[in-house]
Amino acid sequence: MKSRRVWLFAAAVFFSLAGAAAAAELDDVLARGELIWAADQEGGGPHVFPDPVDPRRLTGFEVELAALIASELGVKPRFQQGQWDRLPLLLGRTADCVINGIEWTPERQRDYRCSRPYFAYALQLLTRLDTPLDAFGTLAAMGPRGRWRVGVLTGSAAETTMQSRTDLEVDVVGYDGTIDSLEQVASGVLDAAVMDDCIFNFYADRFSRLRTVDRPFAGGFYTILTARNTPRLSAAIDEVVGRLIADGRLKSLYDRWDLAGRQQMLLLRDAAEIPVARRKSIGELCRDTLPLLLRAAGMTVLLSCVSFPLAVCIGLSVAVGRLYGPPAVRPVLAGYVEVLRGTPLMLQLYAIFFLLPKIGIALPALAAAILGLALNYSAYEAEVYRAGLRAVPLGQFEAALALGLSKWQALRHVLVPQAVRIVMPPVTSDFIALFKDTSVCSAITVIELTKRYSVLALSTGRIVELAVVTALLYLCMSWPLALLSRWFERRLEGAEPPPPAA
Amino acid sequence: MITVASLTKSRASVRVLEDVSLAGAEGTVTAVVGPSGSGKTTLLRCLNGLETFDSGGITVAGHRLESGPHGQGLLERLRRDVGMVFQQFNLFSHLSVLENVALAPRVVRGLSAADARARGRDLLDRVGLGAFAAARPATLSGGQQQRVAIARALAMQPRVMLFDEPTSALDPAMSAEVLEVIVDLARTGQTMVMVTHDHALARRAASWVVELVAGRILRQGTVAEML
Repeated sequence: MKSRRVWLFAAAVFFSLAGAAAAAELDDVLARGELIWAADQEGGGPHVFPDPVDPRRLTGFEVELAALIASELGVKPRFQQGQWDRLPLLLGRTADCVINGIEWTPERQRDYRCSRPYFAYALQLLTRLDTPLDAFGTLAAMGPRGRWRVGVLTGSAAETTMQSRTDLEVDVVGYDGTIDSLEQVASGVLDAAVMDDCIFNFYADRFSRLRTVDRPFAGGFYTILTARNTPRLSAAIDEVVGRLIADGRLKSLYDRWDLAGRQQMLLLRDAAEIPVARRKSIGELCRDTLPLLLRAAGMTVLLSCVSFPLAVCIGLSVAVGRLYGPPAVRPVLAGYVEVLRGTPLMLQLYAIFFLLPKIGIALPALAAAILGLALNYSAYEAEVYRAGLRAVPLGQFEAALALGLSKWQALRHVLVPQAVRIVMPPVTSDFIALFKDTSVCSAITVIELTKRYSVLALSTGRIVELAVVTALLYLCMSWPLALLSRWFERRLEGAEPPPPAA
Repeated sequence: MITVASLTKSRASVRVLEDVSLAGAEGTVTAVVGPSGSGKTTLLRCLNGLETFDSGGITVAGHRLESGPHGQGLLERLRRDVGMVFQQFNLFSHLSVLENVALAPRVVRGLSAADARARGRDLLDRVGLGAFAAARPATLSGGQQQRVAIARALAMQPRVMLFDEPTSALDPAMSAEVLEVIVDLARTGQTMVMVTHDHALARRAASWVVELVAGRILRQGTVAEML
């Protein structure tokens, strides 16, 4: 996952330079004969999603809209996949525009070119049939399990709207996909979710245990994003959207998707201009973001410092079991190591967080993250300690046995302490690796430093400044670890090698 | 105290020991001599169960070992009464000299940490290394390390001590200091079996000598007869 942060940083730097770099203007798009539009198919229906009949094909009302726009421009549409909250970062690099339920906000007005609105969304609160959540106002008081846990799509208007409602007793939990939060409400991990009404209408059949609460309580418009330095492309898209509205093709598209075309057209007609946000000073930026970044850094430390000792204990036990346990358990433990080492951490976290609730084990996100990290790293530690135990000369074991120690006493007092010393350098560097891998936990809604950075960078548009602050925070935390590992190495170099085996 | 009866052992279809029988009474020191590869060390390792054997039987300090795999409980009981000193010392490199000596009395005999350390200090004084209690084994000379290994085995107050080539890894000066310790031990009446190339050691410490050649006993007798 180190590569993910490096990528993000590179993207940040690149993006900041994009003003100078040549983004694809209208002429380039026409010359290329392709309009590259970015969206996240994980975001789901009715926007952009794999066709259930043929999953290799994408479908959704925005897929059709993109095709219409491209054909009006006289080019072919080409889809570019990206993670929803980072789609704008693709502008000027691998995409000409973003068409994916991007809400029209003052900040986006400032940082990108926003087309005229093409769709009106409304935010809807959802819950399970059996919760006491009967009206939106119920959220103002504590629920039966304390604060209401409400899932939203990370980076969406639902998230900012719910977070700004300090009058409500809610913990807002960000997910990378909208279906994830629906699943978590259905399985009881969340009390409720907030999303665009069209999404829930689309999936209502699949989630028959869920219901809407009240009418939608807020709303806004979707816009097509283009890079700031492509004014003519932006103007051309504006013109096309206008044409599609005027000649009724957009309305009939929405009607085909059961999206109330008539009502959409009325709402689009009434769309008011959205103001452009002001750029904050560095001081204001720090004041507003530093407390959030620090709290997220605390989460990173908590995740690593709790999960790593667990990983070491499990890993050491597995290593001892594989080398000295009953023959019957050895292949089982070998299988444990291979499965956990051979599958991605992300997948394991998903399994713990999203699949276990289906069999009645609903772990809170933090517990799931710690468990996932501990299990994943235990496989690596098991291999490290196995190597360490094998590196202890056989004579040490025999000498312990000859003194009358049992096999387990010899392990506990002689072999394990020596193995622990031998593997100290690789184990320390694994700790640093885990420390950085904690960023994967954002996939299951745990907000640690990288996730917080990415959310703040995108919402404030201050990608470079915040990247520097975040990098400094990471350094402040990993520097002591590096010192610790060097201290261990010096200590081991100072000691002479153990006597050779008899 | 020690009886070996018709001991036979093969390793990968090669006979390592063939019909070996010997006896050592309480307070005697038996030296096993012979060329390299004659099975001396294997015989010694059979005496405390570090190796199994194919047929015959062994009785050491009242514990009876039969052919085939040994039970863990039997081995642990036997080894409490049978100390062993290795050619390469095998001191625990992560522990101090004193901790090396005090570990087994504490863990196996259940002595308190303080009692185990007191016993350890006495034994280190006895082998002349009281001043090195806090040192790491790796900082000691080979002769000093072997004396610590002897003290470590003695800390369990064994009824029988086994020595596997105790001076082979040492230069003559260091051999001499280890030899003195072993000779002192023989004078106290400690029952011992030692495998050695070192005729000086055998002459000075042993009362009975067994010569092993190609896994068989060629001859055995008193030191005067044999060396």
